[in-house]
Amino acid sequence: MTFQLDLCVADLLLLLPEIFLTLWLCLLLSLDFSLKRMTHQQLAYLSIAGLAVTGLILLGFDQAGTTGALFKNMFVLDRMAIFFKLIIVGATALILFMSIDYVQDFRFFRGEYYVMVVMSALGMMFMASSNDLLSVFVTLEFSTFGFYVLVAYLRDDQRSSEAGLKFFILGVFAAGLLAYGISLVYGETGTLIFSEMTGTPGSYGLAIGYILIFAALGFKIGAVPFHAWIPDTYQGAPTPVTAFLSIAPKAAALAILIRMFYVSLASFKPMWVLLFVVASIFSMTYGNIVAIAQKNIKRLLAYSGIAQIGNIMIGLAAGTKQGSDAIMFFLLTYLFANLGAFAVIIAVSRVMKSDEIEDYNGLNRRSPFLAAAMLLFLLSLAGVPPLAGFIGKIYLFIAAMKEELYTLLIVGLINIVISMYYYLIVVKKMYINEPTDSSPILASMPIKVAVYVGIAGTVLLGVYPGPFIDWAVSASLMFSNIAGPATAVSLLPGG
Amino acid sequence: MGEYSLLIILFAPFFGAIALMFVPREEALLVRMTAAIAAGISLLASFYIFLAYDTTKGGFQFVQRYVWSEELGIAFYLGVDGIGGPLVFASAILLFAGIFVSWHIKDRTKEFYMFLLILAAATIGVFMSLDLFFLYFFYEMSVLPMYLLLGVWGSHTKGYLAMTDPEERKLRDSIGFIFNFGSNSKEYAAMKLTLFLSAGAVVALMGILLIYHLSGLHTFDIVVLREQAHFSDNVATLIWFLIFFGFASIAPIWPLHSWSPVGHAAAPAATSMLHAGVLMKLGHFSIIRVAFEILPDSTREWMWVAAVLCVFSIIYGGLVSYFANDTKYVIGYSSSSHMGYIFLGMAALSYISLSGAVIYMFAHALATSMLFAMAGWVYDQTHSRDIPSLGGLVEKMPFIAGAFIVGCMASIGMPGTINFIAEIMIIVGSWDKYPFQVVVAVLGIVLTLAYMFKMMRGLFYGKLDPEHAHAADARHWVDRMPLLLLIVCSITLGIFPGHFYEVVRSTVEPMVDRINHVAPLITQNTQGLLP
Repeated sequence: MTFQLDLCVADLLLLLPEIFLTLWLCLLLSLDFSLKRMTHQQLAYLSIAGLAVTGLILLGFDQAGTTGALFKNMFVLDRMAIFFKLIIVGATALILFMSIDYVQDFRFFRGEYYVMVVMSALGMMFMASSNDLLSVFVTLEFSTFGFYVLVAYLRDDQRSSEAGLKFFILGVFAAGLLAYGISLVYGETGTLIFSEMTGTPGSYGLAIGYILIFAALGFKIGAVPFHAWIPDTYQGAPTPVTAFLSIAPKAAALAILIRMFYVSLASFKPMWVLLFVVASIFSMTYGNIVAIAQKNIKRLLAYSGIAQIGNIMIGLAAGTKQGSDAIMFFLLTYLFANLGAFAVIIAVSRVMKSDEIEDYNGLNRRSPFLAAAMLLFLLSLAGVPPLAGFIGKIYLFIAAMKEELYTLLIVGLINIVISMYYYLIVVKKMYINEPTDSSPILASMPIKVAVYVGIAGTVLLGVYPGPFIDWAVSASLMFSNIAGPATAVSLLPGG
Repeated sequence: MGEYSLLIILFAPFFGAIALMFVPREEALLVRMTAAIAAGISLLASFYIFLAYDTTKGGFQFVQRYVWSEELGIAFYLGVDGIGGPLVFASAILLFAGIFVSWHIKDRTKEFYMFLLILAAATIGVFMSLDLFFLYFFYEMSVLPMYLLLGVWGSHTKGYLAMTDPEERKLRDSIGFIFNFGSNSKEYAAMKLTLFLSAGAVVALMGILLIYHLSGLHTFDIVVLREQAHFSDNVATLIWFLIFFGFASIAPIWPLHSWSPVGHAAAPAATSMLHAGVLMKLGHFSIIRVAFEILPDSTREWMWVAAVLCVFSIIYGGLVSYFANDTKYVIGYSSSSHMGYIFLGMAALSYISLSGAVIYMFAHALATSMLFAMAGWVYDQTHSRDIPSLGGLVEKMPFIAGAFIVGCMASIGMPGTINFIAEIMIIVGSWDKYPFQVVVAVLGIVLTLAYMFKMMRGLFYGKLDPEHAHAADARHWVDRMPLLLLIVCSITLGIFPGHFYEVVRSTVEPMVDRINHVAPLITQNTQGLLP
């Protein structure tokens, strides 16, 4: 296999968002070093401006229908990649708004924080476009690298260091699994590009290889049984980083999962459907049940995140185009609700100096705005109409129903009721319990921006989802003829 | 304007809730007026559709249809028939009355009215949805405001503080909560209600998704589904049971009823009114709308289940009411007992009994909400709902006592109130098919008489406790108006039921014919509506 780079400038246009963001990153870094008088707020707004421009370029691509592949299909820019990149860019911009207050409390390395966040975002944008196993490995490590630093950013906080160490050790272990899996798959198929693997005969090596790759990606999205790092890391990491971890890497890893399973493993569909059904059932049930016992709001959202990933895997288990549409729509709803909830957490914990659920006692009296916002976000996560999360869940259920995955559906529906309980416990604290200290809690301007964006998205996607559903549907058109069970063959020889 | 009436009825409370967000919370009167105006618009428009419903044409009228998602086959499809129309009217009356009943709420008035408006709008939404998706959408949406209305503005049941120690309170927030059956706190009641109803809702959702998928029509449109959906026998039975028990849990039918009296007891007056008045009817209504319309054959085959269970509802609810000492428990259990009549009327599947059931839903909404409003008034004045400790209040509150007697009479089904007509129709209509149940129902009426008189005597007659000497009557028009509104509606319709009966009959007749295979569904009413 020889690599020939026959590139021209027009091809590089496809990389324009990434190239622009890279240059902007360099600019940010050098500004931070050279201009001593520049405050970290200015740097944050500059980063947001860069992300905004990137987002506009991506939207322009989406409108113009720019698509293509580069580097021997290692990098593809299709509408699905654009969709996921927009989610990542949007999430990063919201995270930066939420971070501005938080970074104020850092004693040093304020500027680098923003650079690190944007760098991780860049890595994840590449992830959304990667179309072969090699670029999966490189981009995944690239994006995770920034997170290793970010999670342990609070140097004086023992929990943060602990979180960083746990995340690092398990992350490196997952990287090892990924590399091993890739080598096995390469050994069996002789290629690394997803689209060229279709039609390879099944073998044990291939099966083990893919299971290892799934384990590594399952680590990224926090699916049971690869979830062990999530609660401690979420709790210990700086809250904006937790918020970032809770959405962006999951989106990027899901893009890879969809590409890998829908394209390269299309012919083995019955096998991996079973895999996802099992993973989904365990993630939903485990996440929701353990969340009930949590006392810390970040841990609660960590477990709720595990459960939400279980919901998302319902779409993967469906294994149809509608399944991937539903995943993409659900991610949009999850983006707004989850980031909004974390924004409220940041606002509250700046006053309370801790993240216990007890701190939310009487929040409705202390800040009606934050309490109402949190109510909306939690109910959206619980899947209550007319909020976005409800449409997202129904969409996933419809996709599973079309494939007649009845067990999965029943478990999913029961889990809605279980999850309702612990979200309502937080609602109860905010609205029913009386505050111990009734001084008002005020949210700063940047936090309010993040909360307002969250509310707008949560309500809009709930009452008027049509255009967004259509967007998700048109973004994954290339999956419209993926193999159904009829043409499926066994992944194992002779099976 | 006529054809947009349903949009006005539905969105007036929603926009009222949104408008309330921008009203400063210190301006309590402005907050109340905003809510009252929103509810008033809704009430006027629903009165209009109730009167303007064309009984010769029947079928779904005032139809509005907007495609919501082509991809999923969902349309925002509104319309009322002779069953939905009166229930929309009842919801609007109860919302309007409820706003005035809760005029004196001081704590977080703004949020209270916002949640109350959302609750009422969601129930109205269920009654007018012709799309299964939106039916579920509004159904589930009505559950959540209940949680906050009960939890924040509700009250603990008597004896709660005596049986709770600080250690236990901590446990309640955790897993221990689930096993803590003894507690009667409002938080417990609210959580129980929400979880029960959500659990019922997901069962029904499973049924709805099965209808959507197995009909192969790729639509949630009830009008299309009832004409074209066909299921094999076993599948139809399965779906029917999911739909029936999913929705019957809110109705509430006997083994699934336990959330309801606890919820009534904890809720503030206006919420109890909406809860007992219309929220519980969502169950009957959704069964009629989904199971009766889409699965007529299974309905004919299996509706006897309701006839069996309703016996337990009637007797059990009645007996508990008789022995309960808490006014709201008495009214709450009487409601769940009276829901049994509706199930009996539905189960008999004759023109008269089903019409009677529909009219009873309306009648019961008015009667029971009167009682809840006045129980709430007595509680506000005396801070007690314990019947033995009260008494002699007729001296202090003659107006309330008088209205309470009317409420009790309506609840029993005295001639002159709309309840009488409904009860007679259910009893007469069900006699052919379920004579035993009819005997039980008549016994239930006697039982109702007994506990209503017992409560009335306990509250208003006998010796006045000097502790309650400061209790005041409803003197201001704000306090009297809602009660008078309910009484006037109940008696007017009781004396002139002609139009109401025609409205109900125009829908019930073709439905019963279709279920009993007498004639296929008359399609001319709906032909213009199919997309």
